[in-house]
Amino acid sequence: MRRQKRKAAGRAAYMALVLTFLYLPLMMVVLFSFNPSKNAGVMTGFTLEWYKQLFSDAEIAATLRNSLRLAALSIGTAAVIGTLGAVALARRKMRLQGLMEGVASLPVMVPEIVLGMAFLAAFSFVRLRLGLATMYLAHTTFCIPYIFLLVKSRLAAMDPQLEEAARDLGARPARVFFTVTLPVVLPAVAAGMLMAFAMSLDDVIISYFVTGPGAQTLPLKVYSSLKVGVTPEINALCTVTLGVVLLAILIAQRIRGVKSS
Amino acid sequence: MKKLLALILSVMLVVSACGACASAEEEKVLNVFTWALYFDYDTLLAPFTEETGIKVNYDYFDSNEEMLMKLEAVDAGTYDVVLASDYILDIARKEGLLLELDKEKLPNWQNLNPAFLGQFYDPDDAYCMPYVAGTPLIIYDPEYVDFPITGYESLWDERLEDSVVMMDDARNVIGITLKTMGESFNTTDPEILAKAEEKLMQLKKNIRALDYNAPYATMISGEAIVGYMFNQQVLYTLQERPELEIVYPEEGLGFGIDCCVIPKNAPHPDNAHTFLNFLMRPENGAAIAEAQLMLSCNQAAEPYLSEEFTQNPVLNVPSELLESAEFIQDVGDAQTLYMDIWTRFKQY
Repeated sequence: MRRQKRKAAGRAAYMALVLTFLYLPLMMVVLFSFNPSKNAGVMTGFTLEWYKQLFSDAEIAATLRNSLRLAALSIGTAAVIGTLGAVALARRKMRLQGLMEGVASLPVMVPEIVLGMAFLAAFSFVRLRLGLATMYLAHTTFCIPYIFLLVKSRLAAMDPQLEEAARDLGARPARVFFTVTLPVVLPAVAAGMLMAFAMSLDDVIISYFVTGPGAQTLPLKVYSSLKVGVTPEINALCTVTLGVVLLAILIAQRIRGVKSS
Repeated sequence: MKKLLALILSVMLVVSACGACASAEEEKVLNVFTWALYFDYDTLLAPFTEETGIKVNYDYFDSNEEMLMKLEAVDAGTYDVVLASDYILDIARKEGLLLELDKEKLPNWQNLNPAFLGQFYDPDDAYCMPYVAGTPLIIYDPEYVDFPITGYESLWDERLEDSVVMMDDARNVIGITLKTMGESFNTTDPEILAKAEEKLMQLKKNIRALDYNAPYATMISGEAIVGYMFNQQVLYTLQERPELEIVYPEEGLGFGIDCCVIPKNAPHPDNAHTFLNFLMRPENGAAIAEAQLMLSCNQAAEPYLSEEFTQNPVLNVPSELLESAEFIQDVGDAQTLYMDIWTRFKQY
């Protein structure tokens, strides 16, 4: 009995420690977004001034718009390419199957800095002007594997007889795909897109190499602000982002809860 | 497969060709490339667009070295105005990446302070327009420092154990070590550098933190009682802790100028000249210095500066000190020696 209690206390302490490491830094960010002092590591009062500045900052608004537009475009394209690729590789036995799967997921494994340099070299080789187009190509490329891998594992768990039954009943391959396969893998596609969205939204390294005029994203701006000094405006921005993400998670769980009950 | 590759490549070529055709006639666009916030949006970019109708695309980089890499990769094109530090522009100029400025289009050039012209990175003033300048200074808390701080040498004092904050930068910190030995910031002599390393190692026990971007936070919190940092960082500290005092190091100041240049193959060189000329207007020169909290390079701007600015000792270093200030310059192959010393210094 006593030993069990001690065990429970140990577990709680361990849990508390992990949670502290995970969430204390985030709490600091939130806390300092209300700090009236611009440069201090100490709280000197409470203010909403930084939020006011944040919402009237035209530069931040523009970079945020760029970030969201880019993420939406590239994960949309990546979802189509990744899903089709996964279906093709899962349903057809081809020569060099293993190699192709490996190659398709390579962008996740390759260090970002190498990928960034490679993109830049390739784009300057074909004399493509750096800008939104190159950002779109690069982001789509590194988003594909997230969707590809998730959809592929979902397909591996799916009973192939489902598709065979549809074929037996006379459905054309396209019909099979849209009425049987796609609904089954849709959750994986959605999960992959969410992951890819997060990756695209916060990417700094690859974006740095391939960005050009008119295609500046929010993380690039935040990172570059270090020279002049990051103000609590950035903290306020992070707090708002955190709030939005938390809300999205809550809604997602609510939907899942409704579904399973 | 071959066909597909050919298709992709041809699509790319078409896209890029169209990108080029769009920029053939000078559109009302200007692509600027620098650190975020270095061109202030409210006081510079928005009024410029309103006046000329030229839309400004603001591109960011994080360090001078990244800027140079990017400029080389795009073959000195893509960007119209680049704002970066003196030593890196020196390299860019020697690599032939910069466009010679057309002074006819820059009538406001005469507003610049001659003290900031004709420097090592551009002896003939053909490429670089000085934007702002800075000198790192020593700042200390008189309440905790009970002996006079006069220069770099004071940082070695044993009474300052574990209480100094400095920029995390090889050239600056090894540079001030060289200065205490009466040498130049830019020495390339391996023997002198070996001696400097020995001396630098004795500084180790006094160092509380090395921080390039936010050394002021360590000073404001009181964690460190002496700091060596750039002007605007000194000012950030003073905003929170006005009781702290500053020192012009007696061994001589370090000095740096950030300049605007036009890359050789800039797509909109006319707009770029219009922008540079706009920046050199006296009232804009004042706005730049006040927003960046750095030394103004514009002589005609002086009457427009606020009293708070002109009375500030951090931003108004006596000119005789500025004349003897020394730039940190490109040291060529000796750079590796500096980096090796720095690595060993930070190792333990």
